[in-house]
Amino acid sequence: MKVSERQAEEIARLARLEFSSEEMKDFISGFEEMIAFCDGMGGDLQAETHRPAKELDCLREDAVQNSLPADKLLSGAKSDNGFFVVKRVVK
Amino acid sequence: MSGRIMTLARLLRERKISCRELIDRYICRIERLNPLLNAYVFTAAKQSYKQAERAQKMIDGGFGDILCGIPVAAKDNICTEGVPTTCCSKILQGHIPLYSAYAVRRLEERGAILLGKTNMDEFAMGSSSETSCYGAPSNPVNLSKSAGGSSGGSAVAVAADIAAVALGSDTGGSVRQPAAFCGVTGFRPTYGTVSRSGLIAYASSLDQIGPIAASAEDAAIIYDAIRGRDCLDMTSVESPSAPSLVETDIKKLTVGVPREFFSDMVSDEVKSAIGAAICLIERAGARIKEVSFPHLSAALSAYYVISCAEASSNLGRYDGVRYGRRIEGADVEEMMVKTRSAYFGREVKRRIMLGTFVLSGGYKSRYFARACAVRESICSAFEQIFGECDAIITPTAPTAAFDKGGNPSSAEAYSADICTVPASLAGLPAVSVPCGLTEGGLPIGMQIICGRMKDSLALSLARFYERAADVRVKLCGEVLSEL
Repeated sequence: MKVSERQAEEIARLARLEFSSEEMKDFISGFEEMIAFCDGMGGDLQAETHRPAKELDCLREDAVQNSLPADKLLSGAKSDNGFFVVKRVVK
Repeated sequence: MSGRIMTLARLLRERKISCRELIDRYICRIERLNPLLNAYVFTAAKQSYKQAERAQKMIDGGFGDILCGIPVAAKDNICTEGVPTTCCSKILQGHIPLYSAYAVRRLEERGAILLGKTNMDEFAMGSSSETSCYGAPSNPVNLSKSAGGSSGGSAVAVAADIAAVALGSDTGGSVRQPAAFCGVTGFRPTYGTVSRSGLIAYASSLDQIGPIAASAEDAAIIYDAIRGRDCLDMTSVESPSAPSLVETDIKKLTVGVPREFFSDMVSDEVKSAIGAAICLIERAGARIKEVSFPHLSAALSAYYVISCAEASSNLGRYDGVRYGRRIEGADVEEMMVKTRSAYFGREVKRRIMLGTFVLSGGYKSRYFARACAVRESICSAFEQIFGECDAIITPTAPTAAFDKGGNPSSAEAYSADICTVPASLAGLPAVSVPCGLTEGGLPIGMQIICGRMKDSLALSLARFYERAADVRVKLCGEVLSEL
């Protein structure tokens, strides 16, 4: 399956990645090879009813438990007053 | 003949060596050998000595068990509180977890001592550990050869005895294949029996933490310590409470050999070594039965569709907002795009793109849904085989360790996983044990797969084989031989 530059750019947009035009050309040929590889699944198997997860009892009690301290959680990036600081989101 | 863990435990208990002295030896060996092998990306000497002090108190107080004082390593995608955990990726450089993974906590509670974090393919995506941002580890059996991946560093550390035992993670073979390449034993448990809490996710329905060890006995000791239901991992399950290792009555076993795993893609030397191993097991009294495993090549394609799809979702969290590195942009969107593009490696970006593609509108039914159907067929095929057999034997990898830096195409590199991905897709226990050497002296691994929750059978059969065959790869010295 051929992948156009426009398609690759749309996938990159969804994946929050960017490529220079050189990188994109190089990327597309490898990407087409990977898609051909995935086509090796063949077409004769149809999606049947998926089996449910074998272990269904995976819920815990809805009880308040200790979590990690907020100040430690915030220490991984720029923060202020209990929030992570980024550029303005809502304009 | 005792394994490495039992022997070290006995020496510590009998006071022939103290915990501190043992850690000294390992740390000296790491300082001497790691520049050559690049197995460790972080060491934790200060913490190791503190843990050694605690372990010694446990032994002196009479409540240290077999794991007390044992030096272990953990793959760089397994969270270790206070010790860097970066998945060998630039995007997580400087990241120090606030908590340890469940598996690590279980070992540390028993007095095991963490020596450091081992090298790996970036975010566990690869089969050679060459996509690591710290450079590839070298195979201690032959330095020009790949250590395999993605848990290459852990396999090297055990093979070179710069860790007594190590934790790796296995998504499509990443514990078993490097173990095979380096001549040690690697075990992938039944999916769910070891908590994934604290394991940085690649593909959540496939990832499992597993031990890499010098023997099946050591692998079983670690597995027994780290398994168990964990409320922080909703996919974790209880496993049978009895110890994993039992004496195997080989005469009662039927062992299946699927012909599709022995096609032309497998080298003659690997076929010959596996064939000899099967003959040994048959001579010991097991019944050998040829079986068929359809959809093998479809399994490989399905694995890459599913794993990349899940990875594209899991790696969405690396956006520079809450942890890891950040490149500022004109707005939040630009920040995320620039950060991810600058700091993810090439292979990670490829797999994220592939995963995004197979989940995107117009392609999801053609790729992702079809891959799920293939996965169901793989599960059914195994169920059918295990209706007639107790275990299956296959090669772990089609060849022995390949050259480092070979730069194969994606399809060639992915094809090397063909023997290991079926067990991953079905969530089954599988162990790789050394079963011979090539003419050039490279280790060859044999894979034993058993039914779901039959981890004990897989490990016990592996131990039986190791004892009967007495295959020892020439390893580059051992701490034990120095004591």
